[in-house]
Amino acid sequence: MHADLLEHAPCGFVSFSDDGKIGYVNATLSARLGYEASELCGRHLETIFAIGSRIFYQTHFFPLVKLHGRAQEVFLLLRTKDGESVGMLCNAVRHERETGPATDCVFMEVQERRKFEDALLEARQTADRAVKKLEEQAVQLDLQHQELLAQSEELQTLNEDLEAQREAADEANQAKSNFLAVMSHELRTPLNAIGGYVQLLEMGVHGPVSEAQVETLNRIGRNQKHLLRLINDVLNLARIEAGRIDYDIRPVMMTEVVGSVLPMVEPQLERKELSLSSRIPDGLAVRADVEKLQQILLNLLTNAIKFTPANGSIEIDAGIRSKSEVFVKVIDTGIGIPQDMLEKVFEPFTQVEGKHQRSAEGSGLGLAISRDLARGMGGDLVATRGIEKGSIFELTLPHA
Amino acid sequence: MLFAHGFGCDQNMWRFIAPEFENDYRIVLFDYVGSGHSDLGSYDASRYSSLEGYAQDVLDVIHALDLKEVIFVGHSVSSMIGVLAANQEAERFSDLILIGPSPRYINDGSYVGGFERKDIEGLFEMMDRNFIGWANFLAPAIMKNADRPELGEELTESFCSTDPVIARRFAEATFLADNRDDLLQVKVPSLILQCSDDMVAPEQVGHYLKEKLPESTLRIMKATGHCPHMSHPGETVELIRDYLG
Repeated sequence: MHADLLEHAPCGFVSFSDDGKIGYVNATLSARLGYEASELCGRHLETIFAIGSRIFYQTHFFPLVKLHGRAQEVFLLLRTKDGESVGMLCNAVRHERETGPATDCVFMEVQERRKFEDALLEARQTADRAVKKLEEQAVQLDLQHQELLAQSEELQTLNEDLEAQREAADEANQAKSNFLAVMSHELRTPLNAIGGYVQLLEMGVHGPVSEAQVETLNRIGRNQKHLLRLINDVLNLARIEAGRIDYDIRPVMMTEVVGSVLPMVEPQLERKELSLSSRIPDGLAVRADVEKLQQILLNLLTNAIKFTPANGSIEIDAGIRSKSEVFVKVIDTGIGIPQDMLEKVFEPFTQVEGKHQRSAEGSGLGLAISRDLARGMGGDLVATRGIEKGSIFELTLPHA
Repeated sequence: MLFAHGFGCDQNMWRFIAPEFENDYRIVLFDYVGSGHSDLGSYDASRYSSLEGYAQDVLDVIHALDLKEVIFVGHSVSSMIGVLAANQEAERFSDLILIGPSPRYINDGSYVGGFERKDIEGLFEMMDRNFIGWANFLAPAIMKNADRPELGEELTESFCSTDPVIARRFAEATFLADNRDDLLQVKVPSLILQCSDDMVAPEQVGHYLKEKLPESTLRIMKATGHCPHMSHPGETVELIRDYLG
């Protein structure tokens, strides 16, 4: 009766030697696997294992029963004669028998549990894949981060280089300005002396002078004055560039400033028979250093007179551009400035070349100085072409 | 003699063999990190992602004990781990005894390793299913075990591994490895113990190793299976003694 129970119990039963040879297999298991019991006896246990189970048997299951004498709840995939896989749970105990050591195993098929396990495994695999993907992304991000760091370092080096170059350029410019300032001073001193002695000669302090000598002395005097003006301009520009100009900014009435400048140019206007009109709203005020503003206006008017042919006209037009800005335009009917020179005229030592060029007069520094002064007071100075002819110089300054 | 256990086991597997050599040699046994009673805190996923990391374990043991003229006895995957270690510091080794070695488990062209990739995946599935019961299986955080050593104990008792995730990675490092090129570099004489019916390392693999390993001796054992040192300790001891002379 016991033998029958073992044969047909609702679980598989197998006994095998340390060599893995099957000594006994019950009817339940052999039937489930599609074998006659006699077919399996004497064959290796691996016969009924799927390949994964064979390796697992060699690496885990056998060492376990050999070393610990038992194995519990080990999952193994068995293989039927037809090649179908059957998942089974196995408990095993190793015994010493007269015939030698043997391992007895019961196998129980798991179907419902496998479905649950399948779901668990799939969830884990999904999680693993997600983790792997995240890890890959992390590696990518790290790489990008490294690249950005390298680029950032490069940029910083570049920036430092540029900064160093800028500093070097600034220093060179400063040195140039210093040099010009010193040289101008050194030149002015003897020129003033020349001027003084010419005057003394003209006055006849050293004896009577003939008419021809007077004329020569006049010529020397004119050239001395021209040279002196040139040097003063250079000195001014050098001072501005060296940042040594102090501005005494305060509200200034435009009508007053223009009024103070006009008498200075009246003789020239008369000589060239030019007409000058001004349109300045009453009470229009700017924030500026009055002397610097006079200098700018004088320069703009002198230029306008210089480059406007006889019988032409010059116009001063001022007004409010915006809440914070006032404009002052000096418009002439002169030779005008070619389009490509509109910006260049503000560069030092520049004059518009052409048939109307009068290079003997002026240093080519006036506009450069004027623009620097305008900017120094928080404004600007730009040139445009007149609608039909001539030029328009537009000075902007902060509204007072 | 330095005994290195194979995949799926720990140093316990040597208990039928090692005592036999106690009188003649200094015996050194150890567990790889993640196996037996090793310190899980020392596990480093990237180091142990390939067999080189395990070879470093062997060299670490050798340096720690300042071992010289080591007779390295390795089972299964440890054979290749021993080869890698000996290739790094040949001067430390006198002999390599390789039990059931295989430089590559997956067939490759005319090379017969014994398995196709899907077979190896079958093993991974078997491992996954058998480790499902362990609480930390679903989380790849190995260190969890350090807080709950009883889990590791339980697993050690059941599968000689202290952590299913480490065991799983060890399986991948082992069964997906290809160390055929490393064989040619070996400068230490070796004994290959090949079982007569080993489905993990078929006999062709034993002959392949004999051909590629300089100064090697191949002995085909009567023992069957993959663990002759456990199933047939007597024959295993005899062949090792015979080789060592």
